[in-house]
Amino acid sequence: MAASPGNRASSKLLFIVNALIFIFIFAPLVIVVIQSFTNENHMGFPPESYGVRWYAYVMTDDDWQNSFMNSLIVASIVAPLSMIVGGMAALGLDRSDFRGKQAVFSYLIAPMVLPHIVLGMALFRIGLFLDTSEGFALNATDSLWFYVVAHTTITIPYAIITIGASLQTLDRNLEEAAQILGASYFKTIFFITIPLIKSGLIGAFIFSFIISFDEFIVTYFLATFNQTLPIQIYSTLMFQLEPSIASISTLMLALTALLTLVLMSRGQLVSFGKIIK
Amino acid sequence: MKANKRSMTLLLPALVLYLITFTAPLVVLLVLSFGRFDKSITTLGFHLDGYIKFFEPTYLRVFFDTFFISVYITFFCLILSFPVAILMRRVQPFMKNIILFCVISPLLTSIIVRNSAWMLVLGNQGIINQFADYIGLNDVLRDMGLISRFAGLPLMNNVFGVVLGTVHVYLPFMVLPIYASLSAINPSIEESARNLGASSMQLFRNITWPLSLPGVIAGCTLVFILSMGLYVTPVIMGGNKVVTIPMIITGLVRDRYNWPTASAFSVMLLITILFTVYVSRLLQRSVKV
Repeated sequence: MAASPGNRASSKLLFIVNALIFIFIFAPLVIVVIQSFTNENHMGFPPESYGVRWYAYVMTDDDWQNSFMNSLIVASIVAPLSMIVGGMAALGLDRSDFRGKQAVFSYLIAPMVLPHIVLGMALFRIGLFLDTSEGFALNATDSLWFYVVAHTTITIPYAIITIGASLQTLDRNLEEAAQILGASYFKTIFFITIPLIKSGLIGAFIFSFIISFDEFIVTYFLATFNQTLPIQIYSTLMFQLEPSIASISTLMLALTALLTLVLMSRGQLVSFGKIIK
Repeated sequence: MKANKRSMTLLLPALVLYLITFTAPLVVLLVLSFGRFDKSITTLGFHLDGYIKFFEPTYLRVFFDTFFISVYITFFCLILSFPVAILMRRVQPFMKNIILFCVISPLLTSIIVRNSAWMLVLGNQGIINQFADYIGLNDVLRDMGLISRFAGLPLMNNVFGVVLGTVHVYLPFMVLPIYASLSAINPSIEESARNLGASSMQLFRNITWPLSLPGVIAGCTLVFILSMGLYVTPVIMGGNKVVTIPMIITGLVRDRYNWPTASAFSVMLLITILFTVYVSRLLQRSVKV
């Protein structure tokens, strides 16, 4: 780029502004991490003494342990479920042609833009209905299986878009070749298509896992005693600003950062960009 | 043709699930919104009580508060996103990926985690206030009567805190669409404008900005819609000082079991969102010409 003096000055300004924006994005997270290593009874920055006391606390305390396990169980079921159901839908949309296809697509990704608070309360109502109606007696509210159902609904749109994006880059000739050589429809899908869209599937899995693990508002409606991690953080937060929050947040940050790195190495962060477009 | 049918059946599991967990709940909500709530008992029917309540001055005010908070959030997201998107377009692919990582990775971090982080920064005992105490700024302000004796700088438990916390959360939703439309601009257009003597300011006003409008509209729509429905951040960052429609809805359901009113408010929220999407479509069409 030809650098006139004015141009260079504006580039410099651009860099400075960006540096400030990235400080804005990351500073609070860095502070949480530092804060999590406090040895004090209360939060305060910078901590007067350091230690892993609050990590030991969140890892041994029953409430924190239970909510962590709940979140882990739910996210571990939601991720494959959403990947499979969303993957099937993405494949179905990619491979078929019918009137109203665009409408079906919009319908399938609608939970992304529907306020989750509305979805949460509506699902809560359905849960109450399942709880009380005789014949069902399913105990939906406050039970993990219902969290799984709710989270799967929320995460499917992300799975559809992520997997749909990798289906679009797929070379269809490979599938045709397999079919010409006599492979059946399902054989082609299992041995050709799925291996080729592996990155997209992994992407969908991880996105679904993270979204489910971090989900708050829908579970907040459904939960009373069976808390998930975000809800446990929230109720602790509303009670007092205990350093345990910083420790558990740091653990969650670490998990998310790790998964995000996996996503990036698979080139799937770009497809997240596509989600938003 | 046969393959087409087979492919269509792949849509079935998702559609069946949605029928139970997406469509049915929303239909139930719509039905409930026309119910009546009397002495803690909900009766169905065709009543407009909930909708009439929405237009009572108290609730209408909350609606407009929510609306304007969302507008502020959208505005500040836009201002902060543009420089990032412009930088992303200028740098090498490797740097671009790093910026992309920096922009997206916070998006995958729990909102609660990020909001509690802000509490540590902005709260009365937060870092900024500790610093302001240390340099004596707060004492000066207290003497002047600008802040109360026991409080620090009012950075949280007000609209400012809510807007800041939400901008932090939704920034990526603005950066990505803007970047997408910026990267679609042919660089030679800008180069020729520059060669013809356009200044940076002129370049931005006459070329970059108009051509980025599709992304700007998409980003603003998304951020606005998400902000209208946000619950956690207003509660955590707003203390009890900021009330939004999602907070009212949650309170009605969780504390008072007043389903008809809560449902009617939800329907009004959805109508607002649908209207926003409609306006955004019109705007998109008008900038494409």
